Amino acid sequence: MLLFRSEGDLDAWCQQEGRPRGAVLTLQHTWALAQAWYRNRLSPTFQGRSPAEAQELFASLGLRGPFWEVP
Amino acid sequence: MISDMDQAMRLHIYRFWCEKGRPPGVAENARACDLAETAALAAWRRLHDAHLILLEADGDRIRMANPLSAVPTNYRVRVGQHWLFANCAWDAPGIPAMLQQDAVIEARCSPHGELLRCAVRDGELLAEEALVHFALPFRHWYDDLVET
Repeated sequence: MLLFRSEGDLDAWCQQEGRPRGAVLTLQHTWALAQAWYRNRLSPTFQGRSPAEAQELFASLGLRGPFWEVP
Repeated sequence: MISDMDQAMRLHIYRFWCEKGRPPGVAENARACDLAETAALAAWRRLHDAHLILLEADGDRIRMANPLSAVPTNYRVRVGQHWLFANCAWDAPGIPAMLQQDAVIEARCSPHGELLRCAVRDGELLAEEALVHFALPFRHWYDDLVET
């Protein structure tokens, strides 16, 4: 996941790399995702997440649709 | 479900990494958990297979324990005395989120490499506007974590 200062810079990168645009989150939205995803990483009971748990976490942050679908 | 011993090794990896600024070698991890190196390497493989760490191709060095990166990247985070490298633009704020500590984040933006400096203070991210691009859908994230 790469960081960009603007939509224009992201478009330029996609064109330069010949890659389609994926999902784009603001830095603040990414911070919310990072907190949800990583805050229990040092817990002695952390074992990873089940697909259902990961899907629920994404949905709680408004991340829905095929891009965020957890197989 | 990982065993208590594998969990102890996983936690030692993180604690060691955050204290020393680098991942433990297998001997260090084995010694801390009172294991033979061969048993420690087998545990690393189980943690790798469970996506809890990522080993280098040779299998005897740790490349990632998300959000931490063993190799320098464009995303570094200072927490306390240490600079730690994150794997990506999402993992950079993941380090203070994991440690629940204040931090300074320095990241290079694509495609020109401008430096973006931001901070986490009292649970808030203090940063200029920027965008994080997730190039691959979730279903492909673990196909190649380095590429992701």
